[in-house]
Amino acid sequence: MRLDGMRTYDDSEVVDAVVIGTGAGGAPILASLASRGLRVVALEAGANFDASKYTSDETEAVAINWMEERLSDGENPTAFGQNNSGKGVGGSTLHWGAFTPRPDARDLKLKTDSGLGEDWPIDPDELTGYIEKVEKFVGVAGPAHYPWDPTRRYDLPPVARNASSDMMIRGCEAVGITATDGPAALVTRDWHQPEHGVRPACANCGSCHQGCRSGAKVSMDTTYLPLAVAKGAEIRADSMVHGIELDASGRVSAVVYTRNGIEHRQRTKALFLCAGGVETPRLLLHTGLANSSDQVGRNYMAHGATQVWGKFPTEMRSHRGYPSSIITEDTVRPADADFAGGYLIQSLGVVPLTLSTTLARGGGLWGRDMVDMMDSYRYMAGVGINAECLPHEDNRLTLTDELDDFGIPKARISFTAHDNEDAIEKHAIRTMTSIVEAAGATSTTVLARTAHTIGTARMGTSADSAVVDADGRSFDIPNLWIADNSVFPSAVIANPALAIMALALRTADRFVAAGA
Amino acid sequence: MSAARRTVQGVPHDDRPTLFCLHALGSSAREFDALRELLADDFDVVGIDLPGFGEASAATGTSVDEMVGHVVRKIRRHGSTRFVLVGHSMGGKIASLVAARTLDGSSGLFGLAGVVLLAGSPPSPEPMGDDARAQMLSWARAGISGDGHLATADARTFIDDNVGAPLSPENDDRALSDVLRSAAEAWLAWFERGSLEDRAAEVGILDVPALIVAGGSDGPLGEAGQREHNLPMYPRATLEVLAGAGHLLPLERPDELADLIRVFWRERVGSGPFVSPGFGRVIGSGRTSSQTRAILAGRALPDDPDYTPQVLDAAQFATLRLVAERVVPQGPAPFDIAGRVDAALARGVSDGWRNAALPPDQEAYRLGLDALDDFATLDDEAKDSRIQAIVDQQYAPRAGTLTAEQMTLWFEDCRVDLTRTWLAHPATMERIGFDGFANGGDVIRIQGFTELGADRREAWEPAMPGPSARDTGASTTETTDTGITDTGITDTEKETVR
Repeated sequence: MRLDGMRTYDDSEVVDAVVIGTGAGGAPILASLASRGLRVVALEAGANFDASKYTSDETEAVAINWMEERLSDGENPTAFGQNNSGKGVGGSTLHWGAFTPRPDARDLKLKTDSGLGEDWPIDPDELTGYIEKVEKFVGVAGPAHYPWDPTRRYDLPPVARNASSDMMIRGCEAVGITATDGPAALVTRDWHQPEHGVRPACANCGSCHQGCRSGAKVSMDTTYLPLAVAKGAEIRADSMVHGIELDASGRVSAVVYTRNGIEHRQRTKALFLCAGGVETPRLLLHTGLANSSDQVGRNYMAHGATQVWGKFPTEMRSHRGYPSSIITEDTVRPADADFAGGYLIQSLGVVPLTLSTTLARGGGLWGRDMVDMMDSYRYMAGVGINAECLPHEDNRLTLTDELDDFGIPKARISFTAHDNEDAIEKHAIRTMTSIVEAAGATSTTVLARTAHTIGTARMGTSADSAVVDADGRSFDIPNLWIADNSVFPSAVIANPALAIMALALRTADRFVAAGA
Repeated sequence: MSAARRTVQGVPHDDRPTLFCLHALGSSAREFDALRELLADDFDVVGIDLPGFGEASAATGTSVDEMVGHVVRKIRRHGSTRFVLVGHSMGGKIASLVAARTLDGSSGLFGLAGVVLLAGSPPSPEPMGDDARAQMLSWARAGISGDGHLATADARTFIDDNVGAPLSPENDDRALSDVLRSAAEAWLAWFERGSLEDRAAEVGILDVPALIVAGGSDGPLGEAGQREHNLPMYPRATLEVLAGAGHLLPLERPDELADLIRVFWRERVGSGPFVSPGFGRVIGSGRTSSQTRAILAGRALPDDPDYTPQVLDAAQFATLRLVAERVVPQGPAPFDIAGRVDAALARGVSDGWRNAALPPDQEAYRLGLDALDDFATLDDEAKDSRIQAIVDQQYAPRAGTLTAEQMTLWFEDCRVDLTRTWLAHPATMERIGFDGFANGGDVIRIQGFTELGADRREAWEPAMPGPSARDTGASTTETTDTGITDTGITDTEKETVR
């Protein structure tokens, strides 16, 4: 994005706030605070990209992903890399799928309803208010009538359906499941984005995960960040934070970061940590801060994201068009559930290297089986879930003794799916297989995977059991705030970015209200 | 190889790779006539008259950039998507620039497989004696103030000065008449500007198979000149010196050149997979961005048959190649997937994570392959059984390598790396019917796709191997002429893997 001409601040100047990370958490905060006249600086570990230079080539598109090595273990080790954190001005919104279902109010009260998981210490109606604000500002496409929430309205008509979409609609109809065009954070008409300019209507190019070249897809560098910069925020790219300094009273006084090989120290009155579910806890564990609860790094959650692919007699060529345009919420609380929570189903398009990786890892394929499967690539279409994942203390991020290029220990993330996750998956495989078969698949393949990194600096009501309070403020350090998916007390089955943006706006409001 | 003819998307095409030949100053495409005849069975030899020479008017411009543009247009019009650029003397500088702009995606061409320089002028200023330059400048100026062409006596001197031994009468006549019909302004442009321009930084290092040929009795563009100026820009080049030859190599030594080019193609260029003209045209089109075209152009280049592994030792690398053959059984024209994986490991390419039970990637690869040091002794069936045992954590490697669990985890990474490398090649993309890279060119209003439904195809899309729209009534598994198995499966089969 264009950063020339932006206001800049000196390291030695005590700014009102430093925001670490420019993704779905950091960007709305930056815009919100700058709009109120606060002097704010964002530190982004990645580069500032020119979106027109993104490539649809899967191998090289990883420039926008967080590819620094993480260590995974547990029974279901997370495959990081392209599937998770982003890197660059805009964070993970550079590569996200832009699928934006809203969090279901029932998911925020999971423990009250089921006795399992956690409740969010937030009024669902208040969160919805912020979500509507986000949707209004960034532009979200969706159906005229949302079957599971009749009062809901989307400003933009739904994204074009592709062969996968038609397949899922057909299959759902046949098995009696309600499905419709899903909410997608992209503009289906030319859209004037304040302080950015025109975002052209989506051209159905299918490369959302490789970075949107036109700006049709919502990403922070085409929405909240241009607003922030216009209102006087500074964004420093290529700036990796590795230290946080406290004053004598135990408040954050400065942030230490390295940019182009030179160490800097930005003084500040407040700090917002918005580096995501892995980098946020990693920095806190590295600095030893804000962890009197011993909860930093615990309760790591990854949505179940199992897929069922079918081979069809027709060419599906599902690399064309927005990859996940159809949704059903019929499965949010299935009548025959033997588990807590539920899941969403979406239609799936995919590009070949991504599919082959899932086939190899989640499907165990190699050799002639793999080659045959990829030879039938253009006849394949699928559906996938985003499923509830309960928090468990032993699903945990810790530090290893291997150091990265900045001298920060690499993270080790241990994740094991428990009974509830397994039960959901079983149910979902059954449902998805019936849809894909009813749609006319001649064979089906189930691929296990997970998505998203959630819950490693949880929000709660007690300093004993949570890292931040219901406002997103650290219990230990009064001028440290966290706003990203690490504060989620439970996973919530909606894809996280919309809730992150909404929470970020709310956290900014709480910060200002607190006069901190 | 026969010159079998077939039709792709209605465009006449033959299976032979193309040699686009760029002639020397004062010459024309005719200088390649002998080579064309000698190589006709194996190559479509296409000479291109540069502006101001042969049949080409000087009106399209005689600067280096204008000559480059002229050649790019000619190649695009020809339509070949598997070609070698051959540049003789002045044509060498043009060939290097066309190659650079093709590999960086900006020329809009796709399919460059190699470069041949015959006493080529380098991208940097051409080494040339001051006296020689002054003499030829004076010929050109005299021509411009005269009838626009060089004087016959000057043309005679030029030919005589540039051959190692007298040409045959027929070739001599032809060379002389080419000099005489060339435009003096094109000569002036070359000596006043073109030959002096320093385009080395723009060309950079060209990681393409190259054959550099020097005349043993040539002047400043002889062996020493080639070593100093062209060789450093082509790290994959082989240099051949033709003893006794002067500067006009295609006229003086066509038989030897034909042999060298055949060997060059056979040993360094022609072995890997390549895309069809229809597919190549889409990569070259304005629907594909320059960045993406450059990436695909680099990946389509033939592998170095003498690739030396950088991370693995020779034994480990030999094992990886055998493993790759089983993990990714390729078609009749395989490429060096194992070499590309080793090179990626050497560059430190990370996929963003590793299983905590494994050592770092490079070490895991070394140990995993050490554990398979008997792999070469197994027959194909035994190799596959071994691999399946690894996948199933049933294979216990010998001590000092990896544990059974680690072996399974490492092999998961290994098969992902090998498979992704296979799929990243443009020829594999064509094989599986993926043209999603052509979803937008160098414009903000990217083209994307308009036909999104099943069995729908857009007018610009290339034909794909196998039936493009299946008869849904067909129910047997069929094999197409490309050896790719179709997907018609009658019985619903379920495969659940976790």
